[in-house]
Amino acid sequence: MNTVVCMKQVPDTETLIKINAEGTGIVTEGVKWVMGPYDEYGVEEALQQKEKFKAGKVTIVSLGPDRAIEAIRTGLAMGADTAVHINDAAFYEKADPYATASALAAAIKDLEYDVIFCGKQAIDDDSGQVPAILGELLGLPVITQVIKLEVADDKSKATVTREVEGGHAIIDVPLPAILTAQKGLNEPRYASLPGIMKAKKKPVDVKTVADLGVSVEPMTVIKEMSLPPARQAGKIIEGEDAAEKAKALAKALHEEAKLI
Amino acid sequence: MAGLILDERDQRFVLYEMLDIEKVCETPMFADFSKDMFDMVLSEAQKLATDEIFPILTDGDKEGCRLENGQVYVPKVFHKCYQIYCEGGWIAMSEPPEVGGQGLPVVMSTSSREWFMHNFAFIAYPGLTEGAAHLIEVYGTEEQKKKYMEKMYTGQWAGTMALTEPNAGSDVGNTVTKAIRQPDGTFKLQGTKIFITAGDHDLTENIIHPVLARIEGDPPGTKGISLFIVPKYIVNEDGSLGKRNDYEIAKTEEKMGIHGSSTCLINFGDNNECYAELLGEERKGMRIMFQMMNEARLGVGMQGLASASIAYMHALQYAKERLQGSSLENFKDPTAPRVPIIQHPDVRRMLLWMKSQVDGMRALIYYTAYCIDKEQTIEDEAEKEKWEGILEVLTPICKAYCSDIGFRVTETAIQVYGGYGYCSEYPVEQIMRDEKIASIYEGTNGIQALDLVGRKLGMKKGTYFMNLLGEMNATIAKYKDYPELKDLADDVQAAVNSLADVGMFFAKCGKEGKFLIPVGNAYPFLMMMGKVVLGWLLLWQAGIAKDKLDALCKEKGVDPADKAKLNEFIKDNKDAAFYTGKTMSTKYFIKNILPEVDGDVKAIKSEDMSIMEIPEESFAS
Repeated sequence: MNTVVCMKQVPDTETLIKINAEGTGIVTEGVKWVMGPYDEYGVEEALQQKEKFKAGKVTIVSLGPDRAIEAIRTGLAMGADTAVHINDAAFYEKADPYATASALAAAIKDLEYDVIFCGKQAIDDDSGQVPAILGELLGLPVITQVIKLEVADDKSKATVTREVEGGHAIIDVPLPAILTAQKGLNEPRYASLPGIMKAKKKPVDVKTVADLGVSVEPMTVIKEMSLPPARQAGKIIEGEDAAEKAKALAKALHEEAKLI
Repeated sequence: MAGLILDERDQRFVLYEMLDIEKVCETPMFADFSKDMFDMVLSEAQKLATDEIFPILTDGDKEGCRLENGQVYVPKVFHKCYQIYCEGGWIAMSEPPEVGGQGLPVVMSTSSREWFMHNFAFIAYPGLTEGAAHLIEVYGTEEQKKKYMEKMYTGQWAGTMALTEPNAGSDVGNTVTKAIRQPDGTFKLQGTKIFITAGDHDLTENIIHPVLARIEGDPPGTKGISLFIVPKYIVNEDGSLGKRNDYEIAKTEEKMGIHGSSTCLINFGDNNECYAELLGEERKGMRIMFQMMNEARLGVGMQGLASASIAYMHALQYAKERLQGSSLENFKDPTAPRVPIIQHPDVRRMLLWMKSQVDGMRALIYYTAYCIDKEQTIEDEAEKEKWEGILEVLTPICKAYCSDIGFRVTETAIQVYGGYGYCSEYPVEQIMRDEKIASIYEGTNGIQALDLVGRKLGMKKGTYFMNLLGEMNATIAKYKDYPELKDLADDVQAAVNSLADVGMFFAKCGKEGKFLIPVGNAYPFLMMMGKVVLGWLLLWQAGIAKDKLDALCKEKGVDPADKAKLNEFIKDNKDAAFYTGKTMSTKYFIKNILPEVDGDVKAIKSEDMSIMEIPEESFAS
């Protein structure tokens, strides 16, 4: 089974995030970068499917600047076969979900695939839109929040379990399709040392957006980015008895917190 | 807690900025490697340590090992971790690819392993397996390699090292385990070994023990000792497992720490049927075993470093979060806000003491490991011998200094936590218990000191020791013209001179027949030398940090002389903060710890031999 995994390199969840001087993005200096955790489920699932079918190729496609190669190599070290690195810092800098999906679609359209895996969202901008737009551009069905996947032996369709509010939905989908990986789909493997040694020699096709013939402009622009306000000190509600305290609390919620 | 195992920035500083290990990639032996591969290896080691090895530390301690019907069972949580560790290829990191290893430089396997060593109870199983397999790789016959080594390097089978007996611990020459020659060239073993780490467990289907024993009729002492391979299950011609060998796990020790590590008493040959194969030549057992022991000594030094590092990282985090007392300016105002304890001078003293020791020990262990790579890759014979010699001299210091100071760092971490540190709710008390063994096994620190003073100092007429002093002097010469470092360089120079002076003094004592002075002072000398070595390595680090910080300030347009501006810059820039930390750690060490050398010299040169003069009757009434 051939699969494509869309992967984004994102800041490690433990990195301390700072807003840049212009207020339009984060300070990238000093950030530790990792493979998107939901994308990692996608890589693992692609590898497991390949192992199950004992045939096929796993291709990682990633849009990002030079540094993205580190996350790509991690995917290759886990066992992916090849990769396309859309290395275009200027495009990446201002790419919104539409522009990103357009670049990915251009890189993917000539590849062979039965399934395209994406993480359900990137953990940096959290937009969660790329898979849907990608589906639109490639004319493929999209199933989000996948936690279980069973591909038919002839690879014509798959039975997919997705997470929905309060339960699960089981869906049959014809292949090829785009599936977005949710936590619970699998447990991603560690890259082995032999895997790391081999990753260096695996082919990575480096392309610019122009090479791919993409000339879209982003449709959205980030105006401002800010950190959540620092947590304020708590306030102790004073009062003679419970009734009076409740009254004071209601007043504070209404007038100060403006919650009721 | 994630991220509190070691300071990854410091790890990369030592590897790339201090030792410049990328250079090994220019040699034919390591031409396949590059810095980005090293980075991936380190990142993966970090991930494995954070997600798998650290989380099982407490469970491993609480569950411990149990012996049931002659079989030892390790903590349940060890099984999955062992499997992931083996599948990842971490056992044979530095072995050549031809035998199934990854062929990494030793400095890389060492630094990767620093991520794992805080959980020594766990890492002992794959660690000893690697050491035992390496013995077979170097000294085994082709048949033995095929039969045992290959399966050990993948972790399918495990290994141990069985030296110690009830009356042959430090005195290994007293080994009484007997090997009886058989007509087919094999041997039968009879005897008892104690304290055998990973001596039995349920992680693998077979366990291969290298065992020291004396062939019947061979002379007493170390010269009559041979080394044998004793498998738990005798291996058939076709590689399948045959019958259970005739040895019995009579008990496992109840220990202070490393509860997850099975420490076994093994009785070999109760039924006169214990199968054994000779490994290497007869009566060369000690020499062969020393290969594994030297590797293991560096490993135990690493255990000290890793325990110290994780204890320091936890104590630092705690000190930043724990509120207690008001700041010094407000100490008379009972309503003043409570501050994190890291603001209190005595807590800062403990933290910086720990940091400087951890930084120094990391530099020492990595530097020593890198000597092995240099020795392996350099073609010039004289240069090769120089690195081999420095490795010889530094090995006992790595083992003893890092295990003892490592323990003291873990103990200081508990002090930072206060009462909570003494409680099992926090991990530092376990880390201290687990670390204590490091000064005892693999040759006690007393034995290490005798090795240093009795063998290593005088090796090649003292050339090896002199070569090390030469390296120290070269660093000092490089930095003594830096205005900011001159004072520190002068202090290190004085300490190096004192070290050389005591070396000469010991030699003179030897010539005059006053052997007791070097012997009685071997341990103080080793620890003193450890301080001088760390002072040197830290000065080297401060020199690099100074250059890097200056360059960084220049790049960002910050005037390093403007303290307020610099402090603001440090708050905002992680690298600037790191390099400043390096300088501070060095300054603290050289100004507050290195002066102890003067006291050590005074004590040694006083020739006071109270330790020998005091009658045994007078130790207590």
